[in-house]
Amino acid sequence: MKGVETGPGRTSPPRSPWSGARAGPDHADLAALLARVAVGDRAAFDAMYDRVAAPVFGTVRNVVRDPGLTEEVTQEVFVEVWRAASRFDARKGSPMAWVATIAHRRAVDRVRSEQRSADRDRRAASPMIAYDDVAETVEDNLDRERVRRCLGSLTDLQREAVTLAYYGGYTYRQVAGLLGVPAGTVSTRMRDGLIRLRDCLGAGR
Amino acid sequence: MRIRRPEPHTLAGAYALDALDGPDRARFERHAARCRECTREVTGLREATARLAAAAAVPPPAALKDALRAETARTRQLPPVTRPRPAAARPSARPLGVRRLALALGGAAAVAAVTVGVTASLVPPAGRPSASQEIAKVLTAPDAVKLTAQVRTGGTATIVMSHHDRMLVFAAAGLRRLPAAQHYELWLIGPGRDRAAGRLPAPSHGMTGPVVAADLRSGDRLGLTVEPAGTHRPTTPMILELTL
Repeated sequence: MKGVETGPGRTSPPRSPWSGARAGPDHADLAALLARVAVGDRAAFDAMYDRVAAPVFGTVRNVVRDPGLTEEVTQEVFVEVWRAASRFDARKGSPMAWVATIAHRRAVDRVRSEQRSADRDRRAASPMIAYDDVAETVEDNLDRERVRRCLGSLTDLQREAVTLAYYGGYTYRQVAGLLGVPAGTVSTRMRDGLIRLRDCLGAGR
Repeated sequence: MRIRRPEPHTLAGAYALDALDGPDRARFERHAARCRECTREVTGLREATARLAAAAAVPPPAALKDALRAETARTRQLPPVTRPRPAAARPSARPLGVRRLALALGGAAAVAAVTVGVTASLVPPAGRPSASQEIAKVLTAPDAVKLTAQVRTGGTATIVMSHHDRMLVFAAAGLRRLPAAQHYELWLIGPGRDRAAGRLPAPSHGMTGPVVAADLRSGDRLGLTVEPAGTHRPTTPMILELTL
């Protein structure tokens, strides 16, 4: 038996945490699950995992690429979510943003620490791979379609800066090098691009 | 290439994208600590990056979930971050299941329940069951609730309490080390006079306790002070005060 009620009429298959616009019942559900995870509820952890595992795994894979490393980092992310669930603070953002932030940061930190011992020429050779990948694996996903549409509303430089950083795991200085524009320009384009993306997705608050 | 340093505020986007490397990240975080607007903006931008994560969704291999179950089973959870409050602390309280209570006390209580060494450092009044039995009783009480709070001089206290049994279990992590002539003392502060509720043993591996306090009365608050030997009432300011 499941130890956690996720609300009436909310059964499998797990829905995307973003199916509603903005902070809807899904955010509340995830937050409730996290609160249970914080007190060691394993059933809640399983339910939470089912809801966010695909975004986490996909995000980590985009950044680290290597399949074995992707699994390793994904596992680290969820152990961290388990460990630090009590630190989730709904006033500081949605539960999904909290989890995604842990996942993405851990992925880029891993890549950057590996990078210090090995070069990333292979990755640098195909800087647009990230955005192409998004486009190619999105079909069945409504979120993906919306994100793609909204990414399309950015200027080229904004979009490249945002996707290279997020899906490629590059620092803004590396992005500047890849695109041949000043780092200061890249940082402002990242900010402008994300603000536009946030507004287009209705993701802000 | 000449590297120019952008204004910290313009780095909010790069920060939200984790596109700042070590020194840049630290620099932005120092700035954001003083800049509410930056923090607010990053919070909003993180919602956008979370949607980028959603768009990248790929189901992980099923085996990952099993591996994770094993991993979390041996991973201790962090206590919540709490801030000292000007008046009596108002900690969050929530009902807990038995299994979670053991976790709540970080295994220390579970260890104590079977370890004579810890009970020996407590001084249960005559006629009372052993501390380990009492700990087990509180942890398994159907009405047990957990409170956590920050100790003003450093450290985090975790309390599991049963109103029905009028007992609580107190444990702490990271308490400031004391000179040999002093100790931490728990007090029950009620409408009448303050009652000494237990002297904390010396910390072991940064963990102090668990200690059982019994005979809670309605309206009691729990206090913690640093005391020299042989005091019968608090002689120093409370470094923790909780409404029970």
